[in-house]
Amino acid sequence: MGLFTELKDSISRVTDRLFSEQEPKRIGIYGPPNAGKTTLANRIARDWTGDAIGAESHIPHETRRARRKEGVEIERNGKSVTIDIVDTPGVTTKVDYEEFTDEMEEDDAIRRSREATEGVAEAMHWLREDVDGVIYVLDSAEDPITQVNTMLIGIIESRDLPVLIFANKIDLDDSSVKRIEDAFPQHKTVPLSAKEGENMDEVYENIAEYFG
Amino acid sequence: MPHECTNCGRTFPDGSKEMLSGCPDCGGNKFQFAPSGRATSGSSGSTARKVADSGAGTVESPDTAADPDTSGTVGRAAETVRGWMSSESDDSSTEPESQPTASNRSGSSTVDDRSTSTAGTRSGSADANRSQRADANRSQQTEAQQTDRSWPGSDGSIEPDERSEPGEFAEWPETARRPEDRSTPPGDASSGIQGDNAGAGSVSPPADSIDDGGSLEDDGTLTDGPTLAESENTAQADARSEVVSTDDLPSDVDRTTAPETGAAGPSGSPDPADGTGEQPPDHGRVVSEPSGDQPSIEELRAELNEQFESIKIVSPGQYELNLMELYNREEYIISLQEDGRYVIDVPDSWRSDDDS
Repeated sequence: MGLFTELKDSISRVTDRLFSEQEPKRIGIYGPPNAGKTTLANRIARDWTGDAIGAESHIPHETRRARRKEGVEIERNGKSVTIDIVDTPGVTTKVDYEEFTDEMEEDDAIRRSREATEGVAEAMHWLREDVDGVIYVLDSAEDPITQVNTMLIGIIESRDLPVLIFANKIDLDDSSVKRIEDAFPQHKTVPLSAKEGENMDEVYENIAEYFG
Repeated sequence: MPHECTNCGRTFPDGSKEMLSGCPDCGGNKFQFAPSGRATSGSSGSTARKVADSGAGTVESPDTAADPDTSGTVGRAAETVRGWMSSESDDSSTEPESQPTASNRSGSSTVDDRSTSTAGTRSGSADANRSQRADANRSQQTEAQQTDRSWPGSDGSIEPDERSEPGEFAEWPETARRPEDRSTPPGDASSGIQGDNAGAGSVSPPADSIDDGGSLEDDGTLTDGPTLAESENTAQADARSEVVSTDDLPSDVDRTTAPETGAAGPSGSPDPADGTGEQPPDHGRVVSEPSGDQPSIEELRAELNEQFESIKIVSPGQYELNLMELYNREEYIISLQEDGRYVIDVPDSWRSDDDS
């Protein structure tokens, strides 16, 4: 079964990593669906390795399995940090296939929904065991105070993981970085547009600083 | 909605955390929600479902569960029986304190229910026992309805079987039976009364004694016998041997006998006048009581689901996720199936996933 093979590979890689101390830190990109996590991951990966990580889509839950890009070396101000980027499926408390039926056949929507649910489970699992730091991506045009965001940030804090909050989509008219800063004043918030590549310098500076 | 190991067929009640570390019997990590329809529908329904399951190719023969322990019972039972077992173990969460395991209950229950239609009805002094059982049985009344109807027919055929199973009853000390029962010669009386004793402190899922009684006894009761005896020889056996007098019971308990006796009575008990004659007016309650209980089971399930399930399948394609639960558990669901099946990742057993 392909799923199992994939899982085994994934786990064995994790296992290898556990026994190898000099491996780079694994930074999980978390956030609600459609916040631009994959777009950000692709932006970072392209900027520093030339490769992309995963497909981007305006339809939520395009990323339904966690994807990794290993050994991304980011240099900023003489500091160099090598990280593994884990692009995780968007975390949500409800998945409904009807959200996708405008874009695809019902069968596909149902399958997407199921895979998305598995993806959330996987993302939560990674958060529990497999990440050393978190980039929390939010759509700055949306209200950041949601159950999911509050809960995830709380979990991350409880684990004492270093976390950066990325206020994405600042290219949108409705964007409000301040709303995010106000919602999570205890964390550093970095505005950016992963899609347009805006403010990426500050993004990399903060990554190098926080996760170096 | 109980969970079932698709490898060996072991079932786990809702809320069981046992399965989170893989199936204790076979180490399997693929489970499915036993569809709730199976718990309440007749054998035809569950059989059809099972056929569909087998078609899917993931449910293996129940024979693979070789462990003779309590759960092995469930695994080896016929597919249809498994449905009922599922409904039982489901109910075990209703009153977990009254029985250590679901299988124990199944063991005693087969006897217990029968007693209702036999010894229970013929002896007025059994009221105390039956009252307690009635309490325990309440939640199962819906499923019992069908059972009740089949009792008269199955009485004759089942009880001889019952008597031919020394493993189960030999363990019961004579003192644990009421004096008048010890000497009762033919099948229905003695087994029924022992059932009465067993039932005194137990929840009794009547579903066990539904039609297919023969195969059920063979698969379920025989295996259960030793376990039942061992685990209940101590405190429970003692408790059972002591009959609470009717006076000690709250007055409203008497009314709870009505469903029991009543259920047996109208369903064709040969001699309703013996025991059931006491409370003929309560017969009317028999029908209403079960239907009133069904929602409470559902509510309980829902509550358990909320407490325990990390992913609730509202309908195919619609899911509700409990993030904290997903985060907190070491295992996580890696594959959801449309029919309610799912695969969980068990860290210790992922190596063996190849063959599934």
